Amino acid sequence: MNIVDTRGLLCPAPLIATRKALKEVAEGEKFEVMTDNKTSFNNISRYLRDNKIPFSATENNGTWTILVSKGEGENTYTEPEAYCTPEIPHFSKGDFIIVFTSDKMGEGDEDLGRLLTSNFIKAIKDLDTLPGRMIFYNSGVKLGSVDSPVYRDLSELGKMGVGLLFCGTCARHYSLEEKINIGVLSNMFEIAQCMASAGNIIKP
Amino acid sequence: MKIDLLELVENGGCSSKIPPGQLDEIVKLLPRQADPDILVGTETHDDAGVYRINDDLAMVFTTDFFPPVCSDPYEFGQIAATNSISDIYAMGGDPVVALNIMMFPSAKLPMEVYSEIIRGGAEKAYEAGVNIIGGHTIDDSPPKYGLAVVGYVHPGKIITNSGARPGDALILTKPIGGGIILAAKKLGLASGNDVDEALRLMKLLNRSAATAMKRFDIKGATDITGFGLAGHALKMARAGNVTITLDMKKVPLIGSALQLAESGCIPGAAFRNLDYIESSAAISEELDYNLKMIACDAQTSGGLLISAPAGKCNEILAELHKTGLTESALIGYVSEKEDHPLKLK
Repeated sequence: MNIVDTRGLLCPAPLIATRKALKEVAEGEKFEVMTDNKTSFNNISRYLRDNKIPFSATENNGTWTILVSKGEGENTYTEPEAYCTPEIPHFSKGDFIIVFTSDKMGEGDEDLGRLLTSNFIKAIKDLDTLPGRMIFYNSGVKLGSVDSPVYRDLSELGKMGVGLLFCGTCARHYSLEEKINIGVLSNMFEIAQCMASAGNIIKP
Repeated sequence: MKIDLLELVENGGCSSKIPPGQLDEIVKLLPRQADPDILVGTETHDDAGVYRINDDLAMVFTTDFFPPVCSDPYEFGQIAATNSISDIYAMGGDPVVALNIMMFPSAKLPMEVYSEIIRGGAEKAYEAGVNIIGGHTIDDSPPKYGLAVVGYVHPGKIITNSGARPGDALILTKPIGGGIILAAKKLGLASGNDVDEALRLMKLLNRSAATAMKRFDIKGATDITGFGLAGHALKMARAGNVTITLDMKKVPLIGSALQLAESGCIPGAAFRNLDYIESSAAISEELDYNLKMIACDAQTSGGLLISAPAGKCNEILAELHKTGLTESALIGYVSEKEDHPLKLK
């Protein structure tokens, strides 16, 4: 099997070497790319994923080995997040936090209240300035559950650099500990500290 | 003795910026500014700050400096100065005075290199009608150079990135792909012609484009630099609360930027910019992968992206072509805000 050793090279040289190997090897063949540069590894993974080229990767002592298969096939790459943490969020965060004390917004019809919360959370993503943190307690923690309608939006906000704090006691109360896999399960001390140090607190 | 400045820069094609997330944390700690004469401050991510002096005059103020993007010191000085002054043009201002900002390794490089960089900067400043009236140098390696520039603008005629309106057409005044060409040059993959063209464009002042904007009373524009065409278009869309559609097939490219991208020569900054736009952009299935990456290619001293009323578009283009910006092209349009602030097709 071909081994493309790009150790010591800076981006985009490793990606160019990968692209070259992709052109040269025959359909159905495999080859390995080695890099010792994290950014290059992330970019190569990203490139392969975007172009739907199956690969798997291992890391050993700061060297990544990427096994690439040319041709049709199932992408064996299962956990992109584990490899490709967004390194540099460009999003600007303001000196304010948003606190969700309930999964509903306002008094009145409960379904309407839930819909308003959803719309509110979707709107946050488009703000010029993102909140520094978002805190969830009492029934607010339900918003972070994997089956919540805003789970994806919150997970995106998390990736954009917004810290998500869920009250641990509340998650236990609603038996949601297993279902909240974004942000962190936190305690009242951290929540109190976070609220006390924020410039502004928004409570929808 | 021939000095190649690029040999002093370790940071391959991957840029040397501080992560903006970390920077935001620090900026947050600064005291708030409530002065009503601050017409454009830090909040809107504009190209420069604007401060009102009286009802007829405001000051546009900006600074920018970076490590070498090319081998020749004189050329580096020209590019850095052009890039610094560009922010004034993008805001509709006339640049007036500037200060040199220099970091230079005096033990490592002969002082002729220093004077060549400064000479390049001075030449561009002169061409732009800017007087350099001072500066500051510290010892540091690799060298970094740029200007702090002050310009004038009428408080009612500031051009900002929030000025794009539904129905506007988008004009780009310089071709893109410069980041790819420079990365290819470092690896010995770029043709001499392409490198020359990329350097020529980086040294080209955005002055005639700014003059055209003023003549046609343009309200919205930004200059295309580190976030790439797509990144700056997204910022513009967000600031104006509109949706921007870019037709990547109409975007002028430098030389063989597309072929280089096809061969995998895609700098790290393009991937970072892709991360930045992705969640806010609707990217057409049909858009060629390499064109998408070119949309994200970071530019140095790029052109202006001008949001112009559709009716004036042809006249403005004719004017731009006449003044030497022959590759200026209509590359997209602005519409009412949709789910995605940016669309690439």
